[in-house]
Amino acid sequence: MIDREEPANRSNGKAPRWGMAIDLKRCVGCQSCTLACKLENGTPPGIFWMRVLEKEEGSYPLAHKVFLPIRCNHCSNPPCVPVCPTGASYQREKDNLVLINQDKCIGCRACIVACPYQVRFLSEDSKGYYREGLTPYETEAYQKWQPRTVQKCTFCVHRIDQGLEPACVQTCPTRALIFGDLNDPESELSRVMRERFHFQPRAEAGTDPALCYFT
Amino acid sequence: MTPEFTMQLNKQQEWSWLLAIDLFLGGLGGGLFLFYEVFELPVSIGLLSLGLVAAGGLVLLAELGHPWRAWRAICKPFSSWISRGVIFVMLFLISGSLYVAPALDLFSWLPWAPDVFGGKALGIIAGACAFLVTLYPGFVLAASPSIPFWNNPLLPVLFFSHSITGAAGILLLLSPFGFLDQKLEGINSLVALLIVVNFVLIAVYLLVVKTSGLAAAESVRHLNEGSLSWTFKVGVILVGTVFPLLVVVWMPSAVVLAGAFVLIGGLLFRYCVLKSGVYVPFALT
Repeated sequence: MIDREEPANRSNGKAPRWGMAIDLKRCVGCQSCTLACKLENGTPPGIFWMRVLEKEEGSYPLAHKVFLPIRCNHCSNPPCVPVCPTGASYQREKDNLVLINQDKCIGCRACIVACPYQVRFLSEDSKGYYREGLTPYETEAYQKWQPRTVQKCTFCVHRIDQGLEPACVQTCPTRALIFGDLNDPESELSRVMRERFHFQPRAEAGTDPALCYFT
Repeated sequence: MTPEFTMQLNKQQEWSWLLAIDLFLGGLGGGLFLFYEVFELPVSIGLLSLGLVAAGGLVLLAELGHPWRAWRAICKPFSSWISRGVIFVMLFLISGSLYVAPALDLFSWLPWAPDVFGGKALGIIAGACAFLVTLYPGFVLAASPSIPFWNNPLLPVLFFSHSITGAAGILLLLSPFGFLDQKLEGINSLVALLIVVNFVLIAVYLLVVKTSGLAAAESVRHLNEGSLSWTFKVGVILVGTVFPLLVVVWMPSAVVLAGAFVLIGGLLFRYCVLKSGVYVPFALT
């Protein structure tokens, strides 16, 4: 559960700004966050709002893999929002979450191309994972998004609004994902960020992502 | 694991032939209208330019996921270049049609002939919109910070230059019909000049962009030796640049061929620019 008690007071009067830190030393590349996201959000085949990139480093006998979980960074200055010609991509005023109004999306893909993190996707008319018609789960889950519109990670906004953590955070077995309010100096996220070295992905792009990595 | 789960230099897969055709037709239409106004060409050229831009718009609709919502694309002109472009295209089609209409027998009764104030005003508006129609695609692409190959202020200039050259190519293609002869005596020299300018701009662009980081260098590599090298070297450089230049300079009687070459090169140029866009990769050390 997110501690939502008097958030305005704890955030020095500021609205919450949800963010996430990812501890790369704890991530073991198990992809359980990837699956939890799929289960929670019912994304169609081939689309992963959350995924863990991997890369081989070193050489035999010291070769090893490194992992990098990526997802929408919910940037303060998101390049995907201004390029949207319809206003379908927007920042929610109350907490700066970057969301998509699917009723307004025309599927021009400009936001996909503008995103420096490659974490936006255009869904097609899905026939489901088994290509023999949708399963009862898929029939229900696919009601959450419209075909031929852009979709992406929402930080599980429906769960946040109920005071719950995003599904990926809840499921991570190594506690590599820390979610919280960046504007609340008392939140675990703010505390850990004060204590540990961290970096923002592609900070040079000037997007000020609400996501950082611990190394 | 699918390739999506590894860290690598990824080419953008979102925009391809349909958008290339849209940019091609829109650029041709805008450029042709500028020729129509500057050289006072026959009304059929004005109509053709309007038709090309309208056809480009229809192709763009086919590219959209939800074409029936396309009207919403005018909602964000203060931030989105696509929104601005849609407005430029609409204004061009309206003002251009009104400007051309009095020259048609059917609408000769309209009171704004090109030599009266209303006609002149419409001509200025339509000309400005035609100019912007040729320019805005470059700004749409240049507004993508994730793809350094596009994220360059020279790109709109490159698109404008190719639009004008393509429009001149259409005039060459139409030259056998005779009605352009008196109006465009120097068209061959102009086309030769435009082709050379285009070539220099492409060369400068690639040299400048190549030094803009890993992703941009990868884009240039795709054009030089990668999957797009044949399309770029044969289609854009040989067919779209060298052949028409040779024809215009040494075989003026075959300028129709040069016009066709220029158009083929112009379409493939847009395709190559779109398909060679490479995202900046995730850094993890």
